[in-house]
Amino acid sequence: MGADWALRVDHLGRTFGRPGPRAEAIVAASDVSFSVAAGEALGIIGESGSGKTTVLRCIAGDEHSSSGSVWLRALDGGETDLVRLAPSQRRALRIDRLAMVYQDPAQGLRLDVTAGGNIAERLTAAGWRNFGQIRQRAAELLARVEVPLGRMDDLVRTFSGGMRQRVQLAAALALRPPVVLLDEPTTGLDASVAAGVLDLIRDLLEEWGLAAVVVSHDMAVIELLTRRCLVMHQGRVVEAGLTDQLLEDPQHAYTQRLVAAARG
Amino acid sequence: MTVVPSRRPVLEVRDLRKQFVLHHLGGRHVTALDGVDLDVAKGEHVALVGTSGAGKSSLLRCVWRSYLPSSGSVVLRRTDGTSVDLATLDDTTLADVREHEIGYVSQFLRREARRTAVEVVRGSARRRGVLDQAAAGDLAVEALGRVALPAELWNTYPVLLSGGEQQRINLAAGTVAPPRLLLLDEPVASLDPANRGAVLELIARLRDSGVAVLSVFHDLDAVRQLADRVVRLERGRVVAVGPPEVVLTAAGVAS
Repeated sequence: MGADWALRVDHLGRTFGRPGPRAEAIVAASDVSFSVAAGEALGIIGESGSGKTTVLRCIAGDEHSSSGSVWLRALDGGETDLVRLAPSQRRALRIDRLAMVYQDPAQGLRLDVTAGGNIAERLTAAGWRNFGQIRQRAAELLARVEVPLGRMDDLVRTFSGGMRQRVQLAAALALRPPVVLLDEPTTGLDASVAAGVLDLIRDLLEEWGLAAVVVSHDMAVIELLTRRCLVMHQGRVVEAGLTDQLLEDPQHAYTQRLVAAARG
Repeated sequence: MTVVPSRRPVLEVRDLRKQFVLHHLGGRHVTALDGVDLDVAKGEHVALVGTSGAGKSSLLRCVWRSYLPSSGSVVLRRTDGTSVDLATLDDTTLADVREHEIGYVSQFLRREARRTAVEVVRGSARRRGVLDQAAAGDLAVEALGRVALPAELWNTYPVLLSGGEQQRINLAAGTVAPPRLLLLDEPVASLDPANRGAVLELIARLRDSGVAVLSVFHDLDAVRQLADRVVRLERGRVVAVGPPEVVLTAAGVAS
């Protein structure tokens, strides 16, 4: 663990109580620890239900963690545990310090607002007031994610899946947050569209030196974007390593099954 | 031509063992490396030979650590004089050490869909510490020239090119801003004779300039031409070490 992390997660856990007198708690995630440096992408792989999305949502503040700590270098130099913040403070981090890109663009965007409007919302939340500057910045961002400028004033609802995902990226990254969480960013897109979005994500991560956590069940996504990886199974991290090592020489029985299934 | 190897090797492999535990086969163990010792000095080219399944590629991968060694040590003496054991190094540091000091060239190109040839190689130079964009670009162009890739292909996406052309881009990326240790796994496998010659010459020149090279060549003529020492593996063990003319003849050129 280098000292230069941008995001650090310590012993993060999430359990759900079950109603009924003798019910045991459901463990969605338990004892998850990792750190990510600027310019580095860490992958989390595992089957659906392994807890990988829960971990992202707990970092983002979309869900409450039951235990553990989350630290951002961009918040008080990494001295303040996000988990202890008030909900409003937690939401404020999402403006410019911690972005989340959802599998379903409808979760990260307002579909009944224009592409430009979605980006403008982020900018005004950060205090931008000059209409011309906001328009100009939104146009730059849309150009960067390769959305035709002519569509800037169209409702996101009228966009294709791949195009929506590009707008979501532009909005999430509008203020260049140092840390970005990507939850199955290309799942559900056609293969060729997904490839274009993936390339774009990789370009942005490299160009802007972002720290990223990428959750995916797709090994090709993980291989392309990340250099280190965690493998989750039943809420726990069963294995961690360099991405090429996990794919070529998986150690844990579960990882071996997962890799064999993906390669098969 | 003769470079006197410095006394302290760049790479020092000791009692390296690699066992695969195949969980889907009831936890069956397969031994790939069974106690390998090996040194590679600065400016030395060591070639691994042996029949297929002897452990040559496994050894390279254990050094690169895309295979996780089961036990033993793989010590790399770094440019700054410090030493690290690649077998047990933490992932973050390992990723940095790889990017800065080790080149690994295999037959396979990592998918780099939206990167042109020159961008792939320039990226590699930048990761090796050539931070200036223009300087890294110059080095990339030079490296692509040395592997004889025609200039009209430099701004093409590698996925559109032939296997041999991709392999040469791979080689340019592995050797640009030369790493301290170069690992080569069948680097000329898909090349025609003219390009093969250019690549062998490049490898020889890198070694002359002080790069430590550990290689696997299917082609024993290349081994004779390039290697200072040959290490013969059999069933995961070193069975012979010596100059090419000795090791390759003594074993009757079995592989």
